Amino acid sequence: MAELKRILYVEDEPDIQAVAKLALEAIGGFEVMVCSSGKEALENVIAFSPDLILLDVMMPGMDGPATLQAMRELPELSQTPAIFMTAKVQPQEVAGYKNLGALDVIPKPFDPMTLAENVRKIWDRERK
Amino acid sequence: MSTPTDLNDALRVLRERYQKDLPAKLAEIEKLLDALRDPTNASPETVSVFHRQVHGLTGSGATFGMSALSSAARELEATVKQALQQSTSTWPEEILDTIVAQWGALKQAATQPDIAVLKKFENSGDAIERVLAVKKERGHILLVEDDLEQADNLALQLGHYGYAVKVLHDTARLNAAVAEMAPIAIIMDVVFPEGNMAGPQAITGLSDEVKTSVPVIFLSSRADIFPRLSATRAGAVAYLTKPVDIGVLVDKLDSLTSDISPDSFRVLIVDDSPSLAGYYAMTLQSAGMETVVVNDPLKTLDALRDFTPELILMDMYMPGCSGLEMAKVIRQQEAYVSTPIVFLSAETDIEIQLEGLQFGADDFLTKPIQPAHLISSVTSRVQRYRVLRTFMVRDSLTGLLNHTKIKEELELEIMRATRQSNTFIFAMIDIDFFKKVNDNYGHPVGDRVIKSLSRLLQQRLRKTDIIGRYGGEEFAVVLKDTDEQNAFIALDNIRKAFEQIVQHAENGEFSVTVSCGLATFPRFSSAAELNNAADRALYAAKGGGRNCVVIAK
Repeated sequence: MAELKRILYVEDEPDIQAVAKLALEAIGGFEVMVCSSGKEALENVIAFSPDLILLDVMMPGMDGPATLQAMRELPELSQTPAIFMTAKVQPQEVAGYKNLGALDVIPKPFDPMTLAENVRKIWDRERK
Repeated sequence: MSTPTDLNDALRVLRERYQKDLPAKLAEIEKLLDALRDPTNASPETVSVFHRQVHGLTGSGATFGMSALSSAARELEATVKQALQQSTSTWPEEILDTIVAQWGALKQAATQPDIAVLKKFENSGDAIERVLAVKKERGHILLVEDDLEQADNLALQLGHYGYAVKVLHDTARLNAAVAEMAPIAIIMDVVFPEGNMAGPQAITGLSDEVKTSVPVIFLSSRADIFPRLSATRAGAVAYLTKPVDIGVLVDKLDSLTSDISPDSFRVLIVDDSPSLAGYYAMTLQSAGMETVVVNDPLKTLDALRDFTPELILMDMYMPGCSGLEMAKVIRQQEAYVSTPIVFLSAETDIEIQLEGLQFGADDFLTKPIQPAHLISSVTSRVQRYRVLRTFMVRDSLTGLLNHTKIKEELELEIMRATRQSNTFIFAMIDIDFFKKVNDNYGHPVGDRVIKSLSRLLQQRLRKTDIIGRYGGEEFAVVLKDTDEQNAFIALDNIRKAFEQIVQHAENGEFSVTVSCGLATFPRFSSAAELNNAADRALYAAKGGGRNCVVIAK
């Protein structure tokens, strides 16, 4: 079973960036690269070669879905698993995000203590 | 990987920073809101930024310990979305008004971080007064019972224990009553004229939100499996058979509605790999447990003595001493015969696992283990251990420590106080004329008087103080880290409070007093000396007219 080690995290709010990076690295043991915008993410994603992409939905400029779409156009990333993070989690919205190519949606506000585990659960589920 | 305390500190720092930056953030958003209220100024750009920033608050608040802020922001966002769907260039008056009102509520919520009830501990050197354990002001209990007499009786008795009860005689108005009074607990009969399972059915009919926040206790004259199952499926936290033992019911209500959170589970981790042990420790800490790590198995016994864990998580294969051998050594000692031992190992050989179980292991978890699995295994075992342990060390009527346990705790406290050069007080409290209470009002009432004193002691003394029932109508308490004067004041206050409590019986109301004798360590330096001195002082209190506190000289 492929291992989950490197996560590319795209989020514009510095507070959330800090807390999620801390939670994912210290509790999950992942290697996390944080990008503050879709543009920055596109610039760094290939070099970082993540196992999973975690994206905030609502961002200024390129939002989460647009960023994911742009990434999917790169052959190296067409299959890379992605998870959205957002405060909008109505069932039809979640279905919409999955249709865009995400594995699942993690609701915000998130609990820093369980974030790593949620990510891992979604990863494990898909890898079965 | 960072150590557990580093992580918690780091999270706390981030939380504090978020909360500190919040006022400035809100001021910025408010400027946008002001711009929006002026129709000539409002541009789609402003709206979209406003929406995004409020959305940001929804998505971040609770992460940083501001759940109320997340909720308030979510509501405001919903209104903004509604307004956006209108697709008119200016927003209607009502929507703007709502938005402004909700913004006000949001600012209010931004001043209310989630905080746990703070408990203060004082040193005897600094203390002037002892802190009372704070219990939240009690809301109402909703009692749904069709038998009028039973209902009134129960309501009356619960009232004596300080619970305000509202009675419903049928299930029809349940939803409305719950919405109206927001009860802190529901006591529900099972059988009603409208149906044999009407009680559970009515509970099932409550909204999900109510069901998760309001505990439900079922009462029934039926003890068989079918109503019990029905009740469980309806989400009951307890099922009591009639006639109801009021003491049991009150204990259950107390534990459900009390603000004081139970002690964290204590887990000892024995693993020679520091990083793995640290990882398990952090996982369990994230579930609110307290952990101690031992990397050298030969240090396990010291850790057992100092930390008194409620579960030992142990690696099977360690240098110097295997997990199995360690388990046998631990079980040799009476004090740890019942402490759960859980092996963690990459061992998949079933023979060896069975051997482990034979030698005193309670469970065998194979590595690598998912955090959730580890947490749930440990949790269920510690919970069960706690329940079993209370039967061994607690008095069944009052839930206080029993005589044996109190003596043990006294010895431990002597050692601790010697090591830390502290003073503590050992006191004996005896109910005055208790035999008369039993003779005049009957033993059940006598029991109730004993329970009322035990509850008063628990309320008034600190969580760290040790309270036990010595026997009959006699109680013993160990007041840690306290000097004579403060102890006297505290105990005298308790004495006065108890005198004020109105005790109820069928044939009248009455009040009861206590006498108390206290002895200070290290003036009296052994358990026997403390015991004798407190006893002599108690005797003097009785001789001196009762209803007083005497200090042993």
